[in-house]
Amino acid sequence: MEQSPENPLSAEPAIETSHVDEFVEQLRCVTDTLPSRINIDAQSVEQGLAKLVLTLIEFIRRLLEKQAVRRMEGGDLSPEQIEELGLALMKLEAKLQELKTQFGLADDDLNLDLGPIGRLI
Amino acid sequence: MKLYAYCLASGIDSLPQPVQGISAAPVRLLKVENLVVLVSDLDTDAVSVTRENALTHAAVVRSVLDQTTPLPFRFGTLVTEQQLTNYISARKPALETKLETVRGCVEMSVKIIWDFSGHDQPEPPQKYQENEQGAGALFLAEKRREILGDERRAAHASEISTWLQENLNALARDKMVTVRPEGKLVLSAAHLVERSKIGQYRAKVEQLRADRPELHFLLSGPWPPYSFANVELEFKSQFGVS
Repeated sequence: MEQSPENPLSAEPAIETSHVDEFVEQLRCVTDTLPSRINIDAQSVEQGLAKLVLTLIEFIRRLLEKQAVRRMEGGDLSPEQIEELGLALMKLEAKLQELKTQFGLADDDLNLDLGPIGRLI
Repeated sequence: MKLYAYCLASGIDSLPQPVQGISAAPVRLLKVENLVVLVSDLDTDAVSVTRENALTHAAVVRSVLDQTTPLPFRFGTLVTEQQLTNYISARKPALETKLETVRGCVEMSVKIIWDFSGHDQPEPPQKYQENEQGAGALFLAEKRREILGDERRAAHASEISTWLQENLNALARDKMVTVRPEGKLVLSAAHLVERSKIGQYRAKVEQLRADRPELHFLLSGPWPPYSFANVELEFKSQFGVS
């Protein structure tokens, strides 16, 4: 027995907050994003694969955007190059949006939970 | 017939009172060497993820918390007795180490909601000309604003996390902290707290709440050490249980 007489464990877990509604709403959001069991049928496998591929593309797209902004901030791009780079990234974003719609995916779907190190995006 | 496993424990020989488990099946102790597992016999291959089943799983794990600190199994762990026995025998040293880590402790949880909208700051000036911009340059300027905003959020979230840890680490044997600057629920922390320090922990969180009224706190516990068990990971890799 671990419990010592002078140190009884309080009976039930307590939940203390002055902002119940706010936390209920946020925790519901978290619950909604938890992975559910996967049904192995042709459609869900296709969507799962699309989700994985598009997540990686989205990750790379964001890296490219950050890199472009850093180069722009660094002053080593001419106005023409900035315009060209911006247009290319704009088209990439639009294309990715089109693919997400095609596979029925929302913005929040494109992410990977990497466990203790957090989420990919 | 399979066994539904609720949690692994040591130092107990019997249940404090009869406990009803998933599908109203009685809970019994399965002894494997000097360890015990709380199990129910179930004639099924899967357990539905329902509120009732989840609460039953939690209630069974909690039923022994006054006597000992168990290592909870992941919800839905359904295996044969042979698999369970082999698993425990093969991993006994690691499981005993894990039990030793949580011994005498419970899990306390702190979650924080923030409102970052009041922290918007003026952006530093751009180093290039904004005039005569085309659609591409305007797109990049907008991205720059987003990236700077994200960086400010991340820095502020990190500051909150550091502040919390500086204040609570001394009261915790271990911690699991998740920081998500992109959301309203910016921080979720689980602390492994010795039972004798629960009162101090609560008082400290109360003080922190008063120190930072702009942050909204949720304090909960004591819980079984769900965040520190990690039993399910090894189990999953060994048996494919998910």
